[in-house]
Amino acid sequence: MVATAKKIAGKVVQVIGSTFDVEFGEGHLPEIYNAVNVKIDTKAIQFNLVGEVQQHLGGNRVRCVALGTTDGLVRGTDAVDTGSPLIVPVGKETLGRVFNLLGHPIDGRGPIQAKESRPIHQKPPKLSDLSAKTEIFETGIKVIDMLTPLVRGGKAGLFGGAGLGKTVILQELIARVASQHGGYSVFAGVGERTREGNDLWLEMQETKIGKTDRQVLSQTAMVFGQMNEPPGARLRVALTALTMCEWFRDVTGADTLLFVDNVFRFSQAGSEVSALLGRMPSAVGYQPTLATEMGELQERITSTSKGAITSVQAVYVPADDPTDPAPANTFAHLDAFIYLERKISEKGIYPAIDPLASNSRILDPQVVGEEHYRVARMVQGYLQRYRELQDIIAILGVDELSEEDKKVVARARRIERFLSQPFIVAEAFTNRPGKITSLAETIRSFREICEGFHDNLPESAFMYVGGIDEAVEQAKKLAAS
Amino acid sequence: MANLRLLVNRRKAIRNIRKITRTMELIATARFKKAMDRATEAAAYTRKIGELAADLSASAGEVSHPLLEKRSEIKNHLLLVICANRGLCGGYNGSIIRIAQNRMKDIKTTGAKNPIELSGKRAIAFFKFQGIVSQATYTQFEDKPTFEQVDELAEKYLQLYIQGEVDRIDVAFMKFINPARQTPVVETLLPLEADAARGTTGGPKVEYEYLPNAADIQTELLPAAFKAKLFKCFLDAAVSEQIARRVAMKAATENAGDMIRDLSLEYNRARQAQITKEIAELIGGSEALK
Repeated sequence: MVATAKKIAGKVVQVIGSTFDVEFGEGHLPEIYNAVNVKIDTKAIQFNLVGEVQQHLGGNRVRCVALGTTDGLVRGTDAVDTGSPLIVPVGKETLGRVFNLLGHPIDGRGPIQAKESRPIHQKPPKLSDLSAKTEIFETGIKVIDMLTPLVRGGKAGLFGGAGLGKTVILQELIARVASQHGGYSVFAGVGERTREGNDLWLEMQETKIGKTDRQVLSQTAMVFGQMNEPPGARLRVALTALTMCEWFRDVTGADTLLFVDNVFRFSQAGSEVSALLGRMPSAVGYQPTLATEMGELQERITSTSKGAITSVQAVYVPADDPTDPAPANTFAHLDAFIYLERKISEKGIYPAIDPLASNSRILDPQVVGEEHYRVARMVQGYLQRYRELQDIIAILGVDELSEEDKKVVARARRIERFLSQPFIVAEAFTNRPGKITSLAETIRSFREICEGFHDNLPESAFMYVGGIDEAVEQAKKLAAS
Repeated sequence: MANLRLLVNRRKAIRNIRKITRTMELIATARFKKAMDRATEAAAYTRKIGELAADLSASAGEVSHPLLEKRSEIKNHLLLVICANRGLCGGYNGSIIRIAQNRMKDIKTTGAKNPIELSGKRAIAFFKFQGIVSQATYTQFEDKPTFEQVDELAEKYLQLYIQGEVDRIDVAFMKFINPARQTPVVETLLPLEADAARGTTGGPKVEYEYLPNAADIQTELLPAAFKAKLFKCFLDAAVSEQIARRVAMKAATENAGDMIRDLSLEYNRARQAQITKEIAELIGGSEALK
């Protein structure tokens, strides 16, 4: 039998926004999640669209989400069931390339010759296959290593409202981690700015891995479905990237990094098509299937006994409200939770990570060690007390505090400033070279501040330095000028 | 959306604080008037007796008195720090303690022993926290220090000084210059500075006739001048404290008011947003069911 003979053709009978209905012959309905090709190929019109079956409506009709634009789609056009979900190329051939969600290269470097391809819908790994390793994943960013250590083979979320620097932190992590990392990386651009994707692509070509001469890009596959794309594309692009990532984990067994910017757009795209699919809106207008959709995506991003996926995801927080259903749902899936706070960014402290709201599953003496845990809790203790005193200070002034509290406030203010750090990717804006601080150095620095060795340094000496020795250095420079 | 109940509770708490600070401001204003009358009345007396003592020492010529004599070697340098018993008066206590600490640092470099005496619970608490032991502490001086209380203290200092147990006595307090200006100062109580006292008064020198003789009058007058000076320190401190408290409480009341306004704004916005959201959801839900 010829392969094309299996493909069943139907006809488009209705188009509503980015969804469309197709009528097939009796007994030939495509399965849910199957890809449907709609193609017009005449001299006058060239039109190519892939849809994904979402619902069986009865009357031999299925409802599909368009994975591309429906502009130009007309009723009566032939729609062909491909017999399987969307299939994307996987394998080492994907490295160094940029794809759209359909797995087509968009970097203008010709077609891709992948030996293997996989459907984007997969089952999450079995419970018995999950790996139980817990190990800290060092980033060289003080506040992250100290208070919200990332887990090797785990998931971390960067939560923050508009313009707080989620993308900057994510790109910084790529610059720090991917350039040191021997394994493969996959980047998924979900519904964010196209320009950022382009910047990242160019930067990855320039950056070299460690001391070798290879580009970071040569070890990275990138998949973009940015904000200009229809909701269907943004809904599925993360799955395309994830499918590529899973191949690296399952076949090569290497440690793979998966960066997603921005998971919220995935939920948002789901909510855009939800009403068109006839689902009743739920809390705050989100789709009723919000938790299910997120679960299906997140449960696949896991480390198995074969290999590990370490993932860092940016999550937009609408209106700075972390109780919004979309970020609240994402939260439960993560090992490390990094929350960016507007009040901190207003103080000019970047990364604007809230040291009290953020936390990590592995900030536990059993994993990070007694010393790290003790210092981290001490730092949080100072900051917590400072926050409690803030109202009193605002009303009565700092003079009314007891001597003990004055000391706490002085140290907390120093700690707060010391949590800032110059970034490699922000060097062009800040004019300071990025600083990588080792974990041991970070712990020592914070311990010394907490134990009061540096109470005499001016507060500004703690801004944008690496280790504590640099703060001492900066204090000398400030005193001299 | 910001938690509504949290906002309401915070606003309530700040309202209570404002109530307290406003009351304290009113009390401080009332007390300030009384304290200022006492201080200005005492000022005239202190100035005159200081002038008198200075004139006397000048005209007495060679006659020297132990209270005037500058000792060449200072072994024991006593410092009295006058603070308030209570807080909620802005930078009042802090600035006195700061200037006292500076003086203590200076004394340390001279190598003299530096016993300290503290008045006011705030100073006592601070030095206790710093681990500095004080020789004596006083908490009886409130907003109306009486001459009897000060007299007792002054007698003790005179004794110590004349017996040679201390060679110099300094006092750190808030000097009241006028209702808008007070500065923390460290002044030397003993030995009495005769020349300085005269220098400040200036004016034509008055010739007095002393009976029975200058020396006898000096022995009476100088301790009285010292007592008046110490009493003035306490009066100044009392009035400065009330002014500092009034200013601090006024600022606090205003700050609390600002905060309440901001919180009210945030609360109203959050409340409106929540209502709008609920309406939108209801409408959306009913539309979807059609």
